[in-house]
Amino acid sequence: MDEVVRGTTAQKIEEYKRKREHILQMGGPETIEGRHNRGQMSARERIDYFFDPGTFIEIGLWIKHRTTAFGMDKRKVPAEGIVTGFGKVNGRYVVAGAEDYTAMMGTFGEYHGKKLSYTIDFAKNKGWPFVTMNDSAGARLHEGMDTLESYGWTFKSQISASGIIPQVSLLMGPCLGGQAYHPVMMDFVIQVRKTGFMGIAGPAFVKTQTGEEISLEELSGWKNHAIKSGQTHIVAEDDKDCLDKCKELLSFFPSNSKEKPPRIETKDSPEREIPEFDTIIPNEPTTPYNMHEIIKEVVDEGQFVEIFNDYAANAICGFARMDGRPVGIVSNQPLVKAGILDINACDKLARFIRFCDLFNIPLVSLTDCPGYMIGSDQDWAGILRHGAKLLYAWADATVPLVSVMIRKSYAGAHYGMLDKSIGADFVFAWPTARVTIVGADTAASVIFAKEIREAENPEEVRAKRIKEYSELYESPYPAAERGYIDDIIMPHDTRKVVNKALDILEHKEVARPWRKYSNINL
Amino acid sequence: MQEIIEAPIPGKILVVNITAGNTIQESGAVCIIEAMKMENPIMSPVKDSVKAILVLPSTIVKTDDKSAVI
Repeated sequence: MDEVVRGTTAQKIEEYKRKREHILQMGGPETIEGRHNRGQMSARERIDYFFDPGTFIEIGLWIKHRTTAFGMDKRKVPAEGIVTGFGKVNGRYVVAGAEDYTAMMGTFGEYHGKKLSYTIDFAKNKGWPFVTMNDSAGARLHEGMDTLESYGWTFKSQISASGIIPQVSLLMGPCLGGQAYHPVMMDFVIQVRKTGFMGIAGPAFVKTQTGEEISLEELSGWKNHAIKSGQTHIVAEDDKDCLDKCKELLSFFPSNSKEKPPRIETKDSPEREIPEFDTIIPNEPTTPYNMHEIIKEVVDEGQFVEIFNDYAANAICGFARMDGRPVGIVSNQPLVKAGILDINACDKLARFIRFCDLFNIPLVSLTDCPGYMIGSDQDWAGILRHGAKLLYAWADATVPLVSVMIRKSYAGAHYGMLDKSIGADFVFAWPTARVTIVGADTAASVIFAKEIREAENPEEVRAKRIKEYSELYESPYPAAERGYIDDIIMPHDTRKVVNKALDILEHKEVARPWRKYSNINL
Repeated sequence: MQEIIEAPIPGKILVVNITAGNTIQESGAVCIIEAMKMENPIMSPVKDSVKAILVLPSTIVKTDDKSAVI
């Protein structure tokens, strides 16, 4: 038997302290210094910065791997390369797992994965949000199938928790290989600009299997995911910025799907008028303007946390507050690609709408959209299938849904951006709104095709018919006359009207027959 | 360092706002593409001299067609 076990109480206490201190030192002072030199924090420094002082309670500090192969029997990996536990963030409980690159490079082995999946299960059972701080060199191949299986446990745990608790991944270091399904399946990914990397395989693997030569930055860096692939929602400058942005994001969320998001006091009057809105829309419908100027005026104190600001920038989504109440804003950007709904925009907005719906966050749509993108590029890539996601998202949503039609609400974009028929509780329109099935030029060219073709002066007839169609239908009035629009409002009253609608919908409840889930197009 | 400006959306070139040899500002409009009921300004991501213009007014462009070299 171990000498210590037979020792005095004082010896046992000393032994406990020594062992604990050894684990808390992670990879040791030199490796931690190396992190600092690269501008990075250690896993435990990240935990300390993230949680309210003195609130973090660690779970699984003593966990050890059981592998003996390839020298692993002699290898000590403090806390198995991942610090897990819970504490308070701005006074509310949050559960976290912080991978420790200084402990065997944060490699993901059997017990590393067990700790992670156990912690996610714990968060789900408590009803508290879960945050991962990813920073790992990848799979611990020494452990063979035990590592592979452990990935699966993690995925199963996070998927089981999806829709029950908000889940956020902080991509502060590398996360490459199958492991990268972990961040990508969280609700939101925040990637640190210079140190966060994510991908299905790193450059070395890509080279051996395909011959492609590409740098880690180009293959797996922030530009790839925040601009091209749409897998990173927010980009952070460094570790602290990443943790701050996560805390800000969590402030909009309830702890779980049974709670309402936290409402806060605001000094911004819910009835504030916005006179600039009465002149913000250009006279010509073909002239773009910046939708962000409208969003930041409508919401409380100009505070808008945009999600995916560099990806599919023709659409806009993000979190804000209205009279202190968290809301999801869904909109179009006329400055980029006419503000159309293309495949990427549909994917971006649909997942955002579904997150808000899962976590009881009301949605406000501000529409200026000429339609779904047409043409061979988008048709062949499946715009119908992807566009359908947006329709499913709106029709399935049971949170308060308020739509404001600012300018164009044409064709598929009419319901794709939320109208009465797809489920809006309230639809308001500005006098500048153009709510109709197609633009006047298209409609006139179809209806009067023969007349135009056979006219002595076809262009004159075409222009006359376009003008007639436009005057009859390209306004908010035909839709309002049928009740498809609840009211046409002065633009300066938008904030006041939306806040009143949200007040009325505060206790909205929807009863539907049981089903497992809808068969959304994927 | 060359920056190739590609069409982000298919449509018709309405106006070309720059001439070769002149300097374009960051976020300055290279040209305007008429598409989807909008006159879409195609902006330069950098401030630099315009090396070449590859489109004319009325040119029909597809997504990713090269329109200018900055």
